[in-house]
Amino acid sequence: MGLKVGLDFGTSNSGVAIFDGQHVRQLPVDPGSLIPEVTRTVLYITRDHRSTIGQEAIELYSRDNINRQRRYVKQWAGEIDFHGAELDYVRDIFVLVDELKPGRLLQYLKTALRKDDYPGTQVFDRFYPVSSLVQIYLAHLKKRAENLLGQEIEAVTLGRPVRFSSDPQKDQRAEDLLRQAANEAGFKRVDFELEPVAAALDYEQSLLRPENAVIFDFGGGTLDIAVMRLGEGSKRQIYASGGVDIAGSDFDRAIIEKRMLPFFGLGKVNYQPEIQELIRAVPDWIALPELATPMNRATLEKAVRAGLAPVRLRALEAMIYNDLSFTFYNRVEAAKITLSSSGAAVISMEDKDIALWELYTRHQFEKDIAVYLEQVERVLMDTLAESGLEPGQIDAVVKTGGSSNIPLFHGMLVRLFGAAKVRETNSFTSVTAGLAIRAGRKSSL
Amino acid sequence: MTFSEKIDEWISEAETRPGSALMILKLVAGRLRDLTERNEELLAENIELENGSRVQEYQKQIAHLEFQLEILKRRFGEGNNESQAGQDQPDSLQLLVFNNDGRLLRLDPGASSWMDLREAGQLTGQFASNGEYPRLLALSANEELLLLFSSGRVATRKMSEIASFEAGTSWEWEQISLPEAPHGAESLVGIAPLSELAVSQFFMQTSRQGAVKKTLCSISEKILSNHYLGRGAVQKTDQAFEVSLARKNERYAGLSREGRLQNLGVEGLSFSAEERLKLTATDHMVAAFIIHAGESLLALTQTGKVVVRDFASLETGKSSSAHGQALISAARLEQGTRFIGAAACRPQDLLVTLDEDGRLAVHPVQEVTGAGAIQSEKNFVGLGRIPVWEKKA
Repeated sequence: MGLKVGLDFGTSNSGVAIFDGQHVRQLPVDPGSLIPEVTRTVLYITRDHRSTIGQEAIELYSRDNINRQRRYVKQWAGEIDFHGAELDYVRDIFVLVDELKPGRLLQYLKTALRKDDYPGTQVFDRFYPVSSLVQIYLAHLKKRAENLLGQEIEAVTLGRPVRFSSDPQKDQRAEDLLRQAANEAGFKRVDFELEPVAAALDYEQSLLRPENAVIFDFGGGTLDIAVMRLGEGSKRQIYASGGVDIAGSDFDRAIIEKRMLPFFGLGKVNYQPEIQELIRAVPDWIALPELATPMNRATLEKAVRAGLAPVRLRALEAMIYNDLSFTFYNRVEAAKITLSSSGAAVISMEDKDIALWELYTRHQFEKDIAVYLEQVERVLMDTLAESGLEPGQIDAVVKTGGSSNIPLFHGMLVRLFGAAKVRETNSFTSVTAGLAIRAGRKSSL
Repeated sequence: MTFSEKIDEWISEAETRPGSALMILKLVAGRLRDLTERNEELLAENIELENGSRVQEYQKQIAHLEFQLEILKRRFGEGNNESQAGQDQPDSLQLLVFNNDGRLLRLDPGASSWMDLREAGQLTGQFASNGEYPRLLALSANEELLLLFSSGRVATRKMSEIASFEAGTSWEWEQISLPEAPHGAESLVGIAPLSELAVSQFFMQTSRQGAVKKTLCSISEKILSNHYLGRGAVQKTDQAFEVSLARKNERYAGLSREGRLQNLGVEGLSFSAEERLKLTATDHMVAAFIIHAGESLLALTQTGKVVVRDFASLETGKSSSAHGQALISAARLEQGTRFIGAAACRPQDLLVTLDEDGRLAVHPVQEVTGAGAIQSEKNFVGLGRIPVWEKKA
């Protein structure tokens, strides 16, 4: 019988682990990563449709794309039928395509699962449905894990958020797509476990007596909460679960929107809607690469020549046309992470015509994401109310996921439950570990 | 958000968490240090601008561009909009006959056209100097000439400064003008049309023994003001043979008397003189020029035999020193066959030949390549090309 593993397919990071009945073994699926057991959920597809994931994908993307040359050619994209009162005719539609583009980097694949307005994407001459993108990613991860284990992996327990979406139909669709992708990636048997429950299973390993626990899983894409009774073996109970699609990527976006856009001309360009649109697209990781058209470049160049915020618009041009957005998002994310342990951080970037430096404090960050605090608190209290327990009846609040370390939310948990009850786990591996435990137990049944 | 509002926020952070104050201070100080360094760099740059060293650099560049513009104006004649770059028809081209003694004979087709002139005239007297026969070059009447001497010295002369004669008659060589007499033991070895300087990137020099050297045209102003380009030779016994102007993506071809051909990409050539063709002690170069796609290399033996090689069939030399491609077989070499000249031609062009009796004759390239030879009772000693541009409809 083949192996069964636990696989956390996260919005920002993923990981694979296996449970032998006693211990969890986190697999170092990304040797190039700072933490080899955690790999970035990014997929890079080249022009000849070869793919790679994780740190390797990032390095390949950076090597081949940043500051590269571009050459636009006109390509036939299709035709449009015009039906007039007396006349019908067909018109060819052409698009400008950068024929030197070596590949595409895709991230936030998990978020794409819940978007019904995002059926997939065109990568050069081929259309990739969302399930195919996820399938390619999972297949790579499976292969890496098999190489480490020296055995074929047959089955998997995949983590899933409590709610992919608040819409039940979208939620079911996202799970179905993930299952389909896992099957197509070569997993013969696929089952799911809620991510906060998985984190609870990992936490439960350390328990000496039964506890009522709130699992607060706050990652890159969603916040998942579960209120559970743990430490009673098979009597484990889920009193309530809840979630909301607020997480780390929203905070990155908030930082960019509130603090970074002036570096690219916001506030300086007031009467140029087409340029304002480009500036507003900076936080949008899907839209930004698509804006690198010759027409937009001409618009920016014209404005620069006219002396309209030339330094800032040059920076915007460099960001769009030198594929520097990924580097930029990473700098913003790095500053956000620093603010979890420090009162101030610097978001800086110097490349091509970009020379930005911004001192960013925790006070500013908390101000920028204050709106999310209310929502998170509301979801948490609603879930707790649904469980029928009062905050005083909670023995432990288990934090997992990178965003759970943000002091604003940690402070909220301390305020609601008391500092002694808030427990730290390994933010990046506890869900994977719990999934492995679930997989190991299910396979041994 | 204004900058002062931003500072207020930093202060708020320091007030909320006093521990952050030190961190903020460190980060701001680091930024201040970086900005101070940058400011110093900018001030230094400003000083350069103020004291003129940067201005001098720009002035130099402007002077060079103005110089090139001037050359172009002279080439095409100011205000003459009818003539366009490289579009001289053979009727407006004049034939320059020059020898290493420095004499320059300018021949004008007059009322006739070069295409109609089969007999272009005859040189009489001692037109061979130290065993070297005159060389032939067709140039525009508005051209400015770059004269290269065997010592590496250069001089410039306008075509219009050279006495012009109508083609079709005969001229006593000793009577021909000497616009720039060679100094001491030097001799005139090559002439290049200076109007091409503005659109060229390199001076290409070839030595008599097959060494090749390129020099950047960007320093042409200095070269011309110093009147020195260099010999372009490696061996002491060697001397300059030819100079031409080239762009980096062009191809250079050199042919020796004994039929050794070297074809090289200009970009790959060295800025120092390098022996690119290994010649025997009895051999020396007879032609060196830039060849373009669409042209053929046409070489002429002393007996009138014509050898043609298409641009595409020319092997590009890779090694720094080679024997080149042999265009004369060993058997023919033994029989005494030798090349007297070569040129890059297109089918519509004309050739002009000089025989040992001093007769100058014009031949259509198509006719010559069709027959494979040029008939003559006397041996040929010189070959030149008169370019003909197809008239656009």
